[in-house]
Amino acid sequence: MTEKTSLGKIDISPDAIAAIASAAVLECYGVVGMASKHPLDGLAELLQRDRARRGVEVSMVDGRIIVDLYVIVEYGTRISEVAYGVMNRVKFSLEQALGVPIAEVNVHVQGLRVSDGS
Amino acid sequence: MRTLNVDSDLAGAARPLRQGTPDNPEQPPLRIKYPAGATITALDGQDLRAMLCAAHANLERHRDAINALNVFPVPDGDTGTNMLLTMQAACQEVISLPQPTVGTLLQRAAHGALMGARGNSGVILSQILRGMARALDGKALCTAADLAKALAEGAETAYKGVSKPVEGTILTVARRASEAAQKAASMDEDLRFVLERVVHAAGEAVNETPSLLPVLAKAGVVDSGGQGLYVLLEGMFRSLQGEAIAAAADARAAAAFEAVDEWGYDIQFLLLPHSPTTDEMTLRERLAMLGGESIVVGSSGPVIKVHVHHADPGPILSLGASLGHLDDIVVENMTLQTLRRRGQAPASTTANVPAAPASPASTISIVAVAPGDGLQSVFRSLGVDAIVAGGQTMNPSTQELLAAIAAVPGSEVIVLPNNSNVILAAQQARALSSKQVVIVPSRTIPQGISALLAHNPQATLAENAQAMEAALQMIETGEITVAVRDAEFDGIQVKAGDVIGLHNDILSARGRTTQEVMEQLLRQMNAADAEIITIYYGKPVSTQEAQALADAVRALYPDQDVELIDGGQPHYHYIFSVE
Repeated sequence: MTEKTSLGKIDISPDAIAAIASAAVLECYGVVGMASKHPLDGLAELLQRDRARRGVEVSMVDGRIIVDLYVIVEYGTRISEVAYGVMNRVKFSLEQALGVPIAEVNVHVQGLRVSDGS
Repeated sequence: MRTLNVDSDLAGAARPLRQGTPDNPEQPPLRIKYPAGATITALDGQDLRAMLCAAHANLERHRDAINALNVFPVPDGDTGTNMLLTMQAACQEVISLPQPTVGTLLQRAAHGALMGARGNSGVILSQILRGMARALDGKALCTAADLAKALAEGAETAYKGVSKPVEGTILTVARRASEAAQKAASMDEDLRFVLERVVHAAGEAVNETPSLLPVLAKAGVVDSGGQGLYVLLEGMFRSLQGEAIAAAADARAAAAFEAVDEWGYDIQFLLLPHSPTTDEMTLRERLAMLGGESIVVGSSGPVIKVHVHHADPGPILSLGASLGHLDDIVVENMTLQTLRRRGQAPASTTANVPAAPASPASTISIVAVAPGDGLQSVFRSLGVDAIVAGGQTMNPSTQELLAAIAAVPGSEVIVLPNNSNVILAAQQARALSSKQVVIVPSRTIPQGISALLAHNPQATLAENAQAMEAALQMIETGEITVAVRDAEFDGIQVKAGDVIGLHNDILSARGRTTQEVMEQLLRQMNAADAEIITIYYGKPVSTQEAQALADAVRALYPDQDVELIDGGQPHYHYIFSVE
C-alpha cells in the first residue's frame, strides 16, 4: 500500500498490515487462534502466535484493501457475533494505524476448539 | 426452524418478558421467599430464576449509564444494550419452566444467552453462564460452595474464550468476584453473606479497571462490560435481600429492540400447482430450504394454502410462482406491525416508501440512513426511496437495512450509510440481500447529500456508484457537539460540557461556545476558498440561535453562500459542509 505525500511516499507492506491485523484478532473475544488458510490434511492447524500472520491474507483490488482472516473459534460461543466483533475490531485497528479505509474484512471460521473439561 | 400446524400458534410469535406475572400461578411472584435476616444455605431453581430476572431488571435500570461508558466523548456505546438483550434472551428461556432444578435452570439460561448473545460483552456473558451451568449440572439445589464453584467455572470458561485475555475488562471482574466467592464460602455457608462479598469484590474490581487498562484511564471511565457484570450481580444480591427491583421507566426502548428481533414478513398465498406431483410435503421441505419459519401448508382439493414467515417475501413467492398459479397473495411486514403495536413505529414510514416506482425505467432505488426529521426530509426531497432512522447513537441493525432494501421498488439498490459506524451493517445487508446492492461509503451526512447530488437516474448502477463515491471526496464535513465527560483524544484535552468539533469525523477543535468552535473548524476546512457553506442545525439548538450563528458565519465569510437548514438531528448541535 502506497500513500503519496508532499515529501515523498509512504509504503506499507502487506506483511506489516497482516501483523497489525493478527494482533487485533487475537485480542478478540471468542477467537482462540488463527489457522493456516491451506489446511493440512484437511485439518486447520492452530498457529503459534509468531506464525499467526499466516492466517491473514491482505490483498489490494483496485486500490481497495481487502483483509481475509482464517480463525479458530471457541466452541459454544455465538459464532456470528464473534465474527462480527472480529470484523469491527480489525477494521478499527487497521484504520487507526494506517489512516486509510479498509474496504473489506472477511472472516473465515476454519474450525472450532472444544475446551470443555467434561 | 419451527414447523407449526395450527394457525393460532402464529399469533404467539411475540413473547414479551413479563416481570412479576409468572405463567405458573402457584409460583410466588419473582421474589425470594426468605425473611430478611434469615440464613440461606441453599437456593432452589425458582429462587435462582427470581435472582436472574432481578439481575436483568437491575441491568435494565442501568443500561443507559453503561452505554455511556464508552471511550470517546461522543456517546456511541452499546455495551449496556448488548448485555441487556443477552440477559433478556436468557430470562426469556427460563421464565415459563415449571419447577426447574438449579441444574436445568442454568442450562436453559445459558442456552438462551448463547442464542441471543449480542456484541462482545454479550458473548462473554453467555460464556460465564455456560461455565456456571456446567458447574451446577445435575444439581437440584445450590449451596454457597456450589455458587462459588459455579462463579469460578464461569470465569474460567470466559477466560478460555480468548487467546490474549485483556485485564481491566469484564474478565477481571468475573475472576475477582469468583475469588471472593470462594473465600467467603469457606468462611460461612450463608448465601447472603457470600453474595454480598461477591458484589463488593466485583465493585472494587470495576473501580480498578482504569489502572489496568490505559485507554479507560485516558477516557476517565471504568470498563463498561465489567460494570454490567457488577450490576447483574448486585441485582441478584438485592433480590436475595428481598427487594423487588422495578424495571426501568424506559422499558419502552428495550421493547423496541426486542420487537426488532421479531422481524420479517408474513407471507400467505394459495397455490394451484401446474403438476400434481407438487404436494404439501415437498412444498414444505422446499420452503424450509429457503429458510422459511413457522411454515403452515394445507391443502383442499388441488389448491394448496401456504403460510410462512421469511425475511424476504421475494424468494418465497418466486418458488410458488415456479410451481403454479398464485392467488390471494397477502404479505405483511411483521417488524413494522410489532413496532406500531408498541407505538414505536417511525411516524412517516409509509411516506418513506412510495407505493409504486415513479417511472418503470428507473430500477435503481436509494436507501439512506439519517437521524432527525429535517435531515430525513432533505434526503427524501433528493429522491431517496427509503430512509432508515439512525446515526451516531442508534446504529440501525443489518436487519433494518435489509428490510428497507427489500421494501424499495428497484431491483438495484444504492445504500448511503452516512455514518462510519453503519457502513459495516450496510455491507452485511448487501451480502444477505437477494438484490443487486452497492454501498456508497458515506461517513457523514454531508457526504451522503453530496453523493446523492451526483446521482444520475439515467446512468447504470456501476456508473452511479463511481460518480457518487467520487463526490464523497469533494466535500469537507464539520460536526459540533458537547463532550459528555472528561477525556483526552487525539491529543486534545476535553472536559465534560466543552463544545467539541469534528472535522471529517476526527476530533480537531474544542471551545466554550459553538460559535468559537465553528470558527476554528471553518478555518481548518479552508472555508475561505470554498463556495458554499451549508449548516444543518440539530435538536439541541433553537432556530434563533442557529440564525444568529449563521449570521456570524456570513459576516466572517462574505464571499461564500451560507445556507441554514433545520436538520433536527439529535446530539449534534450543528453538522455543516464546505464545498
